[in-house]
Amino acid sequence: MKTMSSFMLGLAFFILPLPTPVFAHHGFAVEFDKDNPLTLTGTVTKMEFMNPHIYFYLDVKGKDGKVVNWAFEGGPPNVIYRQGWRKDTLKPGDVVTVKGFRAKDGTHLASCSTVKLPDGREMAGGTGGASQNAYGSAVAADGKK
Amino acid sequence: MKNYFHAPTLCAASLFLVLLFVNACGGRVSSGNPQAAAPPDLNGIWSAPFTPDISKALGHQPPFTTYGAARFAKEDEFDDPLTKCLPIGPARGIQAGIMPFQIVQTPAVLTILFENQHTFRIIHTDGRSHPKDADPTWFGDSIGKWDGDTLVVDTVGLDDRTWLDTAGHEHSDQLHLVERFQKVDNNSIKWTVTFEDPKFFTEPWSITLPIARQNTEIMSYSCEENEKDRAHLRRTKK
Repeated sequence: MKTMSSFMLGLAFFILPLPTPVFAHHGFAVEFDKDNPLTLTGTVTKMEFMNPHIYFYLDVKGKDGKVVNWAFEGGPPNVIYRQGWRKDTLKPGDVVTVKGFRAKDGTHLASCSTVKLPDGREMAGGTGGASQNAYGSAVAADGKK
Repeated sequence: MKNYFHAPTLCAASLFLVLLFVNACGGRVSSGNPQAAAPPDLNGIWSAPFTPDISKALGHQPPFTTYGAARFAKEDEFDDPLTKCLPIGPARGIQAGIMPFQIVQTPAVLTILFENQHTFRIIHTDGRSHPKDADPTWFGDSIGKWDGDTLVVDTVGLDDRTWLDTAGHEHSDQLHLVERFQKVDNNSIKWTVTFEDPKFFTEPWSITLPIARQNTEIMSYSCEENEKDRAHLRRTKK
């Protein structure tokens, strides 16, 4: 855990826009910690453009020099396809920066709020954006109904 | 003998009578009966605003019974049937399905094809009644009747394992849904759903949402394809 603590210190924390949960089969609060935002830069190792949520993986080097493979969960592929994503939007070898929220279980898993691509574009990760949400989220990022 | 049936005059008179008849029928010469006029065309791909907390559309919490309030107070998103990839249910599929749905309409049946989980509803519009003592199912038994420009859908026989939204509003197998799909114009439907469930609610309550035509196609969906989240989910209430 000591290694983990120093690694966490290497993460750039800052206030992110509150996530708008549009997860296909679960809400935000049941998996991710709104009090644990993170920004990580790393190299894409794998992209899973599949249901019920996309997953992609980054090799991220911490300040201690250790490389950890992080998993990021985005929206449903259908939803983000309509927002401009394609299955090759992220390719192995791409260096990208992801903003999101860490999983509550403390594993190397986080939601993807946005991802900045090598060409400079910043894509919404499917946790908000084009999907309509006029009538509120089930559980806001503050955890309250 | 003089011909009293001057052809052009006869034709003009006939045309006048036909036009008079058409006008009297509101332009629906095919049926000759306004009550039998063709219903609005609801075919197409549609979507309602994503409403994972139905109380936000209502403006307050539903009129819970004591039992219903106690159930809602302890309910946790962790137990949402969707996290187990179970079917979304008829009304939630429209208001909290994230993804669009397609209506395929014929005279005797109207189907709603949900992109979410690739599930579907069958709404019988052939005049049948609900079956007696049918076992509850994930989408219940739906019958529809046209009331002018509005399709009125009555649904019973619902499995009490479905939720009404992501926030954890539940129901019993006594839930009775009445939905009104009113075609407003070519690109919009006014959808009103009334929830009646004496076990959970003290009185019927309704929400109304706008349904908008979507410029897209129904896409593939399989909840189990790459489901990895369940192992990471944690309860949100102690």
